[in-house]
Amino acid sequence: MNIQIGIGDILLVSPMIALFLASLIPLTTKVLRGNVEQPPMATLIQGLGGVLAAAVLLMVVSGSGSTAFANALVFDGVTKWMGLIALMATAGALLLMYDNPATSGDQFSELMFLTLSSVTGMLILVSAVDLLVVFIGLETMSLALYLMIAMSHEQKLAKESALKYFILGSFASAIFLYGIAFIFGTVGSTYIPMIIESTADLINSSRVFIFGITLLILGFCFKVSIAPFHAWTPDVYQGAPTPHTAYMATAVKAVSFAAFLRIISTQSLLGSENLFDFLQWLAVATMIIGNVAAILQSNFKRMLAYSSIAHSGYILVGVITTGISESMTFAASGVIFYLAAYSLMTLGAFAIVSLMEKTENTSVGVEDLAGYAKKRPMMALCLTIFMLAMAGVPPTIGFFGKFYMFTAAIGEGLLWLAIWGMINSVISAYYYLRPIVIMYMKDGEPQEADQPMHATRAAIIISAVLVVVLGLVSGPVFQIVEKALL
Amino acid sequence: MLLSAVVFLPILFALIIACWPTERTLRPLALGFAIIEFVISLTILQRFDMSSSALQLVEQYPWIDRFGITYFFGIDGISLWLVILTTFLMPITLLGSWTAIEKRVKGFLVCMFVLQTAMLGTFLALDAIFFYLFWELSLVPMYFMIGIWGGTRRIYATVKFFIYTMFGSVLMLVAIIYMMFLTQEALGTMSASLLDFYQLDIPFIGGEFFSLQTLLFFAFALAFAIKVPVFPFHTWLPDAHVEAPTPGSVILAGVMLKMGTYGFLRWTIPLFPEAAEYWAWLFMLVGTIGIVYGALVAMVQPDIKKLVAYSSVSHMGYILVGLFTFNEFGVGGGLYQMLNHGISTGALFLLVGMIYERTHSREISKYGGLAGVLPVFTIIFFIVTMSSIAVPLTNGFIGEFLILLGTFKAAPGFAYIAVTGVILGAVYMLWMMKRVFFGEKGELVKDEHHPLHDLNVREIAVMAPLVLMIFWMGIFPNHFLNWSKSSIDHLVQNKSNYNLTVQSGHLLQPAQKAAPAVETTTVEEAPAEVQPTTETEGGR
Repeated sequence: MNIQIGIGDILLVSPMIALFLASLIPLTTKVLRGNVEQPPMATLIQGLGGVLAAAVLLMVVSGSGSTAFANALVFDGVTKWMGLIALMATAGALLLMYDNPATSGDQFSELMFLTLSSVTGMLILVSAVDLLVVFIGLETMSLALYLMIAMSHEQKLAKESALKYFILGSFASAIFLYGIAFIFGTVGSTYIPMIIESTADLINSSRVFIFGITLLILGFCFKVSIAPFHAWTPDVYQGAPTPHTAYMATAVKAVSFAAFLRIISTQSLLGSENLFDFLQWLAVATMIIGNVAAILQSNFKRMLAYSSIAHSGYILVGVITTGISESMTFAASGVIFYLAAYSLMTLGAFAIVSLMEKTENTSVGVEDLAGYAKKRPMMALCLTIFMLAMAGVPPTIGFFGKFYMFTAAIGEGLLWLAIWGMINSVISAYYYLRPIVIMYMKDGEPQEADQPMHATRAAIIISAVLVVVLGLVSGPVFQIVEKALL
Repeated sequence: MLLSAVVFLPILFALIIACWPTERTLRPLALGFAIIEFVISLTILQRFDMSSSALQLVEQYPWIDRFGITYFFGIDGISLWLVILTTFLMPITLLGSWTAIEKRVKGFLVCMFVLQTAMLGTFLALDAIFFYLFWELSLVPMYFMIGIWGGTRRIYATVKFFIYTMFGSVLMLVAIIYMMFLTQEALGTMSASLLDFYQLDIPFIGGEFFSLQTLLFFAFALAFAIKVPVFPFHTWLPDAHVEAPTPGSVILAGVMLKMGTYGFLRWTIPLFPEAAEYWAWLFMLVGTIGIVYGALVAMVQPDIKKLVAYSSVSHMGYILVGLFTFNEFGVGGGLYQMLNHGISTGALFLLVGMIYERTHSREISKYGGLAGVLPVFTIIFFIVTMSSIAVPLTNGFIGEFLILLGTFKAAPGFAYIAVTGVILGAVYMLWMMKRVFFGEKGELVKDEHHPLHDLNVREIAVMAPLVLMIFWMGIFPNHFLNWSKSSIDHLVQNKSNYNLTVQSGHLLQPAQKAAPAVETTTVEEAPAEVQPTTETEGGR
């Protein structure tokens, strides 16, 4: 294959380049200063500047559907919106990292480098239309992430969770790669549009092809924590520093789903009844396991981890809908909208946890919220908004996210999945209400970090406002996303 | 604009209260706001044409075009009095809770006003998703009211209330979404407007549960039945009522339960007429069971508030039976009884709250001989009791009489059983009165250290409008019934082919929904549509 790299290709990947350059600034400064940290505020500004530059460039270059590097990367609506969601969630997570005792201070410039590298991987992942490039994006993102978690100032749980994540993540990557090998063996290409063309023939004739597709899907199921491949999620989410958890639960999950969406919208599900049934049952099982297990948790982060598993289940319903629908735009934009909604709510909720961590070793229990409403009425109100939004109470964005996704599902005849989703959101209401109950209705003296944590507060308030406002104007926003996908 | 103003003013009030600097002036401010809201809502009466069964003061604007979801308010004879009831009870409740709520007054008042918006929106919204929005929103402030200002088991009660009600409504949401797809098939464009839902012809197969209309019917009916609450789903109600603070109970019993029965009248019955007719026996049955069961359980309650709560189950059973008779007596009586129950049960909860503030106990056995100590309180309590047990000249009589009349016409078998509720109602209420107000003085009443004081001016001012309404509605029922008569007749006569026309206001035309060129057409038709209202105003 003769690969020619033109100036057009370079322009298209300018968001990635901007991020990569921005990631080098803090690190270079540190080296030039003789291994002395620059003020963390400077690092934060450089990092946010990089994210902002990437977001602006992404808005400019993507959306048209042009491709770069011999069709390995595509810059269409999915790239644009998923990339923006990831960048938005990253910006929020960076604000949290700046304040949190487990991540701030020493080695903040290294952390910034790793975070921005991981985001670079994310942008590759969302734009990749070649399975091998998908794999490269996935690994760039994950490898930086393993290190980020291990770098935590907290000495015990974070190391354990980094190792756990690394081992299981590598295993999943191996499965994913194995799947690619089978697909390449049958189709003769790793280029996704090529696979789409061959799917119709191969899905019924070639078991090896189905085997490959299944392995691919399993790899993704692991990354987005679909039951029964979810077991790592609670441990890793609990052990990792809270800002990183927020980052994993929002940005990493969103982009993994973006790649999942790209592969599944090949309509590979249509031909194979078994695969289709199998995924539906996974979605139902994920919702139930996530929600029921979340009820039993007393640690706030662990509860949110299980809630994020449950949300993966809801999103999988949307992904399945995309997989079987004639025109994928409606269902896919439902998924994208839901991911944006989910990212905002989850980021906010984890930010509150981060706010309550006094030292890097603090573990926040749900009961520790007692009396929080009296001490911090504004923050308590924000957490209430996040929790109600996650439970899907209107008029928040959480309700409309579910509404659009389940509307698409019902439109495709997946009524029973929608009903399961609805019943599960009632189950979830039980544990989402618990923090509110404890915050407002029990007295206590909640602990808090000593420093004021303005950056985290800003992130919380912005997310809370967005959760409500984007809920009220969700119609136009949804239509913009949908138009971008056409 | 009037209906939007009525619905959303309370939110504005809530915002002002949230930012209000001084704690001391909060209560008068809130009371003033509530009275302003009531006065504004009375102007609806002035602009309402009672001779028409059509929707009036309609406001429809595009909201989420993609799914044909609109911002859609409108009022007719069915929702008219429920709106007035909501705004009427609000200032009374605020005045009644003047001293009952001591901590976090600001938060409480904000909850009350948000709740008012949610309730008014539920009664006025005519777009399914818009309606659902208000319906679910009403849970949140009530959840906080019970959970923060409630009694000892408040957390259990409030979580149960929230989850129970939410369970019912999510299935309704699935049904709504399904019906939106049906409108897409039938009309070409997706729509969530109730008027478009009425156009649908949903196939019905009698006797087969898993047929389309039956399933949709039950998805809607379950949501409303839980809210009402209908007999097997009533268990959240006593818990919520007993733990809720007095104002919470008043609003819950007075207005929120009516959201359920209103839902039956506005949504379930006209949308699924065949299924409603086929399954009417089931709702009559559970309604009748509710009447008798609620009364029997109320009889043995040791707690006054719980007794009143179970009496609600019994009264709501009457309303349900009335609605499913499908004749003008039953439906009209049911609607009338909704108002009566709001007033009399609201008054009872306020009275129970007043005595609870004095003694901090609601146990019937600790009272006795109150009549000698608190004469004014006793007189008012007696009047309200008369209304609750439907003695002639009080409002309760009209409602129950009409319902029973309708039931005898439609299904005499159920009427024979339902009528025992009248006697049982008298039994539990009068027996409670005997134990609390007459006989030997109970331990709380003769407690020398804490002498009981009779009602003060504020409390009499709270009860006076309610007592006035009890007699007004009991002696001149037509002052109220006439306003809803044409709407109810229209519903009864055209049930199987129900549709609502629009008399005044701004309605989106189908073409406008698709094309954004709204302005020109709107301007043209606006004066023509406003005309009928101005004429009727002049004629009155």
